[in-house]
Amino acid sequence: MSVRTAVVLAAGEGTRLRPLTRNRPKPMLPAGNRPILEYVFDALVEAGLDRIVVVVGYKRDRVQDHFGPSYRGVPLSYVTQGKQLGSGHALLQARDAVSGPVLVVNGDRVIDGETVGSVIDHFETDPETPALAVLERQDASHYGAVDLRDGDLHSIVEKPETDEYRLINGGIYAFPESIFDEIEATPRAEGELALTDTIARLIDSDRVRAVTTDGLWVDATYPWDLLTVAREVLARGRVTESNRRDSVWVADSAHVHADATLQAPVVVGPDCEVAAGTVLGPDAALGANVTVGANATVQQSVLDADTRVDAGATLVDTVAGQDVTLGVETVVPGGPADVQIGTEVFEDRTLGAVFADRVTTRGNVSVSPGTLVGPSATLHAGVHAFGHVAEDAEVVR
Amino acid sequence: MCGIIGCVGRADETLAVLVHGLSKLEYRGYDSAGVALADDTVSVAKRSGEIDELRALLDETTIDGAVGIGHTRWSTHGPPTDANAHPHGDCTGDVAVVHNGIIENYQSIRDELVSDGHEFVSDTDTEVIPHLVEDALADGAEPMAALRRAVDRLEGSYAVAAVVAGTEAVFVARNDSPLVLGLDEGSEPHGASTATGGTTRATYLASDVPAFRDYTDRVVYLADGEFARLDAEGWTVTDGDGTPVEKEIDTVAWDAEETGKSGYDHFMLKEIHEQPRALRQCLRGRVDELGAAVDIEDLGDLSPTGVQFVACGTSYHAALYGAQLYRRAGIPAQTFLASEYATAPPPIGDALVVGVTQSGETADTLSALREARHRGARTLAVTNTVGSTAARECDHALYIRAGPEIGVAASKTFASQLAALNLLALGTAPVDRPREAIAGLRDLPGQVQALLDDSRASAVAEQYQDAGAYFFVGRGHQYPVALEGALKMKEITYKHAEGFAAGELKHGPLALVTDDTPVFAVVVGDGEQARKTVGNVKEVEARDAPVVAVTDGRSDVERYADEVLKIPETRPEAAAVLANVQLQLVSYYTAKGLGRSIDKPRNLAKSVTVE
Repeated sequence: MSVRTAVVLAAGEGTRLRPLTRNRPKPMLPAGNRPILEYVFDALVEAGLDRIVVVVGYKRDRVQDHFGPSYRGVPLSYVTQGKQLGSGHALLQARDAVSGPVLVVNGDRVIDGETVGSVIDHFETDPETPALAVLERQDASHYGAVDLRDGDLHSIVEKPETDEYRLINGGIYAFPESIFDEIEATPRAEGELALTDTIARLIDSDRVRAVTTDGLWVDATYPWDLLTVAREVLARGRVTESNRRDSVWVADSAHVHADATLQAPVVVGPDCEVAAGTVLGPDAALGANVTVGANATVQQSVLDADTRVDAGATLVDTVAGQDVTLGVETVVPGGPADVQIGTEVFEDRTLGAVFADRVTTRGNVSVSPGTLVGPSATLHAGVHAFGHVAEDAEVVR
Repeated sequence: MCGIIGCVGRADETLAVLVHGLSKLEYRGYDSAGVALADDTVSVAKRSGEIDELRALLDETTIDGAVGIGHTRWSTHGPPTDANAHPHGDCTGDVAVVHNGIIENYQSIRDELVSDGHEFVSDTDTEVIPHLVEDALADGAEPMAALRRAVDRLEGSYAVAAVVAGTEAVFVARNDSPLVLGLDEGSEPHGASTATGGTTRATYLASDVPAFRDYTDRVVYLADGEFARLDAEGWTVTDGDGTPVEKEIDTVAWDAEETGKSGYDHFMLKEIHEQPRALRQCLRGRVDELGAAVDIEDLGDLSPTGVQFVACGTSYHAALYGAQLYRRAGIPAQTFLASEYATAPPPIGDALVVGVTQSGETADTLSALREARHRGARTLAVTNTVGSTAARECDHALYIRAGPEIGVAASKTFASQLAALNLLALGTAPVDRPREAIAGLRDLPGQVQALLDDSRASAVAEQYQDAGAYFFVGRGHQYPVALEGALKMKEITYKHAEGFAAGELKHGPLALVTDDTPVFAVVVGDGEQARKTVGNVKEVEARDAPVVAVTDGRSDVERYADEVLKIPETRPEAAAVLANVQLQLVSYYTAKGLGRSIDKPRNLAKSVTVE
């Protein structure tokens, strides 16, 4: 039985990435300068899948608008998960849209085609037995940790308390069609159906094959991780823009002034405008239609689509969502900093600032390391910002 | 993107099956379409334009054959002429091929074939395939082997289907472009889960399942490097060496209607949501904000001293807006309904005559443009369709690049027309503060997205969906938006709706205003136009009409409004695009609440090709 159809789970918000998820789910956040989900679809297309079913939910129109009815010639169908009740529940929504064995993948991590292909290849040698990708991670206890026995999965534990695990569940699975019955037979835990609970049951009753991989696998858990993700995709050259010279990629439709300095690695997306005297990079990723005014500096930063950086601004270790306007002489000197998310404090994170979608800073604003500015907030001229700035807030000096 | 269909085993119905299949693939594009049928001979019918154009051609011509292939195309490069439409043939007329994908090495193959004496009639990469097949057949190869030899030469991506005279079969190859077979195994399907082939009552192939979903739910997905033969016996799949390949037979469960709508209930909502992307496409490579320059291909050194716009329907509203842009730049400009202009043209003088038509085939607009040309005027087409009649007949063409629009009521194409008309004015007239105007355009995709993310239009629509009539008012650039808002409401809700210049309301229409007639007022900025429109709003509020303000919040109109639909702050000409999106959404959700046929409203057609 060959695997022709993939189901991509892209319904969850990714709350730990707030405030960047105000208008879109985590799979649509930028890895470098294109959505994480594009890398996932690329991997599926490269692995030869013929049809992709996308389970959407939170802000689903953003996924549908970006990809439309097909991706690189492969038809996409969308099914909606009305309430986000776990990954198993998400997969169940696709039941009527697929037949036969199915490849299931999380839509919120950057992966590559070889990894997907090797899961499929292993599965096809024994198509009654589920297979999943496992990989080595030092921080295995932050993920779904697994251990193996004779090449099979022996146990799977979500975020174990101990440090003894070395392997994690890569979130790439091949299942026979019976998976849907198995999920339905799995008891709900606190109202939710986690796919890993079903897999734990399968381990007990039968076997689940582990496919060990060392392929590309990059995850963003917190906003500052988007900086690491960008560095990773740039280091591996996983961008679609034209290569101007070593690790400098500029879209054909972008205007970059001859007197701008591009320090590799750097990627400049379509329709961007970059003025004279700017310094971009290293490790700068500009999404579509970004404007950078004269003599601005953008380093180790991700600026998503439609963002405007006015003349003389300095941005280091900065994540800007979509349609952010950073006025003249806005200064973000960069990390490290202690960042508070909810009740937890993360020490020594490299983070200059996070500007959520449609933030505006007027002229001469300075921002302390580790600042999170909520969606559509305005920082008026001369403000010094630090800590958290709430959505829609107007901050005046 | 293109779409392919093929059919074997439907006898006299073959042609109808192919054309129906093409209509189901129209979401993949529809600027030209064609079919080929084969028995002892191969006959081809193809035409640029929508599938209806092909239907019209087929009404005039008889083509027959027991098996057939078809193709629908959407070109962004190179014109969709009849010659470039698929299927493509060889020198003998015995081979016809449809293709989806890109042949990267076609030029070298073509050069070689031409030097061997082959004659080419199109500009396409595809045409090398039938000629390669022809050569192999001439060497004595069987058709399947001939196709194998032909695709052996190709580099790139392809899904190819071919028919050959004298063989009642369809031959298929796939590499990097999707292809799926549909098996109609009769009343009792074989039930086999895998096979290298099998007998069928009828067999189909397509780029995507909806093309044949009405006939069968049993499918076989071809993999890269695989070949298939469909004939009266049934189907077989082989690899590159001709060895049969064991294929899985799937049963598809999903509803074909849904595909192509990207998860939305209607094409119209999908297309409303596509506006940020459509606007990006329209502006791409044409604007340089920091250099304050606009560069539009094919406009040459056009710098008109006067402009006359001709258009119909939604395009007429875009044209009213276009004329305003020219007048603001100090150039006399007027807008005419194309149907009136064609029969009673005004003096033209030195004016440039600009026809705005989404399809490029609108009969009234073509007729007006011809009248202008006949009188010696220079003409320009603003259109969405590369190589359409309007584009070919006019001296210049400006493409709005919105991509295919399926919903009969125009949505994204109006936004793209407004953006393109801004480019036109910036590129050909002394527009004041061009850099800021360009910045306003470049901000639009993100601003439309912001509006879509937070619009309250569905709540407003629900509240007023049972109203007796709807009025729309605006001034300046918001006046065409008011007209368009009313037209959209009429088209898809079938309710009475009128748009007025805000100042005109008190000169008559105010008599219609009651507590059962919501008034949508577009108020942008806080200048004189806004203040005066707010004055008009007070007049209707005093008659107890519910007021819905579509506003950037800079004026005090919200004090007099029952509901507010916010748009981001920007320049007035850019605000028109944003305000229109809110009104599109109100019409859409009103029609949805009323259960209307939103994508295909009664009595209306997408492009009106009669006068």
